[in-house]
Amino acid sequence: MINVRGLTKAYTHSAGAFHALRGIDLDIRPGEFVAIVGKSGSGKSTLLNLLGGIDRPTTGIVRIEGTAIESLSPTELARWRGRRVGFVFQSFQLLPTLTVRENVMLPMDFAGYGPERGRSARARELLDQVGVADQADKLPAALSGGQQQRAAIARALANDPPLLLADEPTGNLDSATGGAIFSLFATLVTAGRTIVVVTHERDADSGVQRRVTLADGAVVA
Amino acid sequence: MAPRWRKATRDLMARPGRTALAILALVAGVFQVGAMLYKFALLQPELTTMYGRTDPAAAVFTTDGVTDEVVDVVRHVPGVGVAEARPVVIARVRKGDAEWIPAAVSVIRDFDAQQIDTFKPEAGAWPPGRDEIVLERSALEFSHIAIGDTITLRLPGGEDRAMRVAGTVYAAGLAPAWMEHVVPGYVTWDSPVRGAADGSGESAQIRMRVADHAFDEGYVQEVADSAQAALERAGHVVSRVTIPPPGKHPHADQMAAFLFLLLTFGILSFALSMLLVTGMIHGLMIEQVREVGVMKALGATDRQVAAIYLGQVAILAAVALVIGTPIGLFVGRAYAEFSAGILNVDLTHRPFPLWLLLAEFVLGVVLPLLVALIPIRRAARISVHEALSDGAGARAFGERPFERTLLSIRALPRPLALSLRTALRRPGRVGLTVAMLAVGGAAFMAALNTAAAWNGAVEADFAHRRYDLTVVLVEFQATAELDRILAAVPEVAHAEYWPGASPYLVGPHGVSTVTATMLGPDPGSELLRLPLTAGRWLEPGDLDAVVINQSVVQNHPGLGVGDSVGVRQRGRTTRFPIVGIVKEIAPTPAIYAPPGAVRGVTGRVPGESRSIRVVSRSHDDAGQLRAARALETAFEAAGIEVTGMHRMLDQKKGILDHLVILISILTMASLIVVIVGAIGLASTLTVSVVQRTREIGILSAIGATPGTIAWQVTFEGLLLAVLSWLAALVLSIPLSFGLEYAAGMIFLRVPLPFSLSPSAAGTWLGLVVVLALVSSFYPARRATGLSVREALGST
Repeated sequence: MINVRGLTKAYTHSAGAFHALRGIDLDIRPGEFVAIVGKSGSGKSTLLNLLGGIDRPTTGIVRIEGTAIESLSPTELARWRGRRVGFVFQSFQLLPTLTVRENVMLPMDFAGYGPERGRSARARELLDQVGVADQADKLPAALSGGQQQRAAIARALANDPPLLLADEPTGNLDSATGGAIFSLFATLVTAGRTIVVVTHERDADSGVQRRVTLADGAVVA
Repeated sequence: MAPRWRKATRDLMARPGRTALAILALVAGVFQVGAMLYKFALLQPELTTMYGRTDPAAAVFTTDGVTDEVVDVVRHVPGVGVAEARPVVIARVRKGDAEWIPAAVSVIRDFDAQQIDTFKPEAGAWPPGRDEIVLERSALEFSHIAIGDTITLRLPGGEDRAMRVAGTVYAAGLAPAWMEHVVPGYVTWDSPVRGAADGSGESAQIRMRVADHAFDEGYVQEVADSAQAALERAGHVVSRVTIPPPGKHPHADQMAAFLFLLLTFGILSFALSMLLVTGMIHGLMIEQVREVGVMKALGATDRQVAAIYLGQVAILAAVALVIGTPIGLFVGRAYAEFSAGILNVDLTHRPFPLWLLLAEFVLGVVLPLLVALIPIRRAARISVHEALSDGAGARAFGERPFERTLLSIRALPRPLALSLRTALRRPGRVGLTVAMLAVGGAAFMAALNTAAAWNGAVEADFAHRRYDLTVVLVEFQATAELDRILAAVPEVAHAEYWPGASPYLVGPHGVSTVTATMLGPDPGSELLRLPLTAGRWLEPGDLDAVVINQSVVQNHPGLGVGDSVGVRQRGRTTRFPIVGIVKEIAPTPAIYAPPGAVRGVTGRVPGESRSIRVVSRSHDDAGQLRAARALETAFEAAGIEVTGMHRMLDQKKGILDHLVILISILTMASLIVVIVGAIGLASTLTVSVVQRTREIGILSAIGATPGTIAWQVTFEGLLLAVLSWLAALVLSIPLSFGLEYAAGMIFLRVPLPFSLSPSAAGTWLGLVVVLALVSSFYPARRATGLSVREALGST
């Protein structure tokens, strides 16, 4: 599913180059639920960004389902991301001017997923699946944090991507709600989806199948 | 430097694009005000004093001679300060085989001792030799004549004189030649041209100035009446007395309108710049909310925070002042020189504009600081908690009824709905941008509408005059002979002989006032059918009934159908019953009467004429020209002297040209306003992109392509442009109405018929769409250039 070889990422600052990742090798199988853990600044979000194609590596290769994503043009990358990857962010990142249902339908519009008239029903179905169908026609601001994150997961699933990437999805939630989100991820993995989640140590046991620990930009465990 | 001041400067340098846009907006304001004020400062003193400097005549007497004895009669009348003979020969001029152009040649007693209606040497010889002529400088371009050319002057007696153009003069008291379509020329007292003046009563002029109370029109009238009486007592015939409005240039009204428009647009564009600055500072403060929160958490007071951002505005304003002021002064001078050229004005007074620099400082630095104070104070007062919380400063979408209405439109595709809702999410900013563009657009459309109304009015008026040429002969000729000559000219389809006169209008108390044109068209004629505002047109069988135009009513308010109008000619007053009032674009009083009634005034008999209205076979420019040349040849062959050959298309062009300056200033000024609006639009879109950076990142993360994101930004620009177009359409209605009314009253003394030109609306729509696309380019590129990682703010 995911094959990473010799992945490095360096940021150049006035003080010199900062190496966020130093030669990462990583393989993730289809249907695996992987947690990337590590201290703040260890490079875990950078790795997730490179896996999702929202940042470019300095050196190394990222292959997702056989596609070397660094070889794609910005437009190809955007199309690939829309169809093959679902993102879940720490601060939900729902678009405030669209209703919850519209937020879920938007990736389908971008990717041209399924027949247009069926998108609303699919959005409703996904929202039902994550437990916020009753909030479908509300604006994000009207939802609680947990509800917004569930809606964000529904949006990530909109185009039925095989890969779900989540960057500290419970970072803004209380522990009970966070636990519920991880349970939802576990259910999705059971249904055959691959999930990579950047999280804190404490959440890494919540149904996660494998833990990848980073320190100073390298895999240490 | 204290860290907070370093922050002020480094913030500006860290965002060069944004800083450049802010400076550009401020430069636009400083530049416009500078250009407009400097242009005003250069032109205003010239326009208000140049006429006075020519020692204009208080009264002009057209008499039967211009001998020293006649001048002395006027000179000795109590109250008369100076009197001077100034014969004016109404002739025609041409270079080579070119078309004849009307000319007014003044015969000057002594070029170096002029006392009335003076003019100055400009180029070439001064004074000209005996067989030479000097032309008013504004005539050269219009007539395609150059210094050194030999021209042919056709004098009233029909005699052709070859004359060398020895030079040019500058006569500030005259309207520019291109506007009047007459070539003003000057010859010396010993010129053979003077013979033509001696032989014609129409061209023998005595001019006088009063000794004092020069601006008291009533007093001038009294002195002129005394002088006329003195001349008549001395046995001379005074065929006309003209009293120009004291101290008023022939085109003073146009110039006043011109200056008024300059100032109005200067103020308007600066007000828009200030709105733009407010919007930009507001956008800047929204971006800075988190930093404000951090600084306040670190102990900064509201004042300290405000000072940092006011410091930023001061730096921006100072840079804009340094850039904008010299450009404004340069363009202002260039524009003043261009306008001066059109108005035939010399810019003699070129002060270093110290007051203008002060004004620029106040307007360019102090005012932006005051304007910025409002958004800065509001931002500085935000609580730390509010500033640091996610979505700081942002109000939740959907709280306002308008937003709920937008939400209820479900039929739109999501990307479009997102664009629409995002674009209209901040109504204050949208309103500001739309208002800026709309004001510019409304002014632009009003200028085009006025031009269209003017053109329409002139076209409509000329459509009521269904003849192509007016031929004026030197002497009265038997109409039977004229019929025979015209019948032999194949280019002539039809001709009519209308008697004419130029009597005084007699007011209610029997006092003669202004000169009127009296014309006697055949009541059954199809060549003249003017639109009636009251009563009826002349009918066959009318003997003394007359139709007057609106200008007669303006001179004698209260006159209406059923009243009578008095005219005075040859010392005799005749009254005519008014049966109709017509509206025409001529600003001069006109009376239309049966031919017999006109002959009664002039004392001529039927069966003779010196004025012919000709319908040519072909009515276009070439057709009229062919007919004019054929008629010249035919009359020359018959030994009949022609003094005037006026083509209607030429006359129409002359009237249309009067509005050129007004429309040009209006269009240019409105375009400057439009440019400010476009900068405002670009600024709004940039701020929007900045505020939506994270949103753009999300869109990218969920599959939006760079093209989709660029379209989102462009759509916002286009939406604002279309909204501004709609607002401009509404705003242009009262603006066009006012402008058309003013233009009509200033130039024609009759309001132009209200007209909204669809092409003006179409042109503006096209222009504003292009502006939106151009303005969206940078923000759209910026949006698509954002990396998803940066946009999402993650590391």
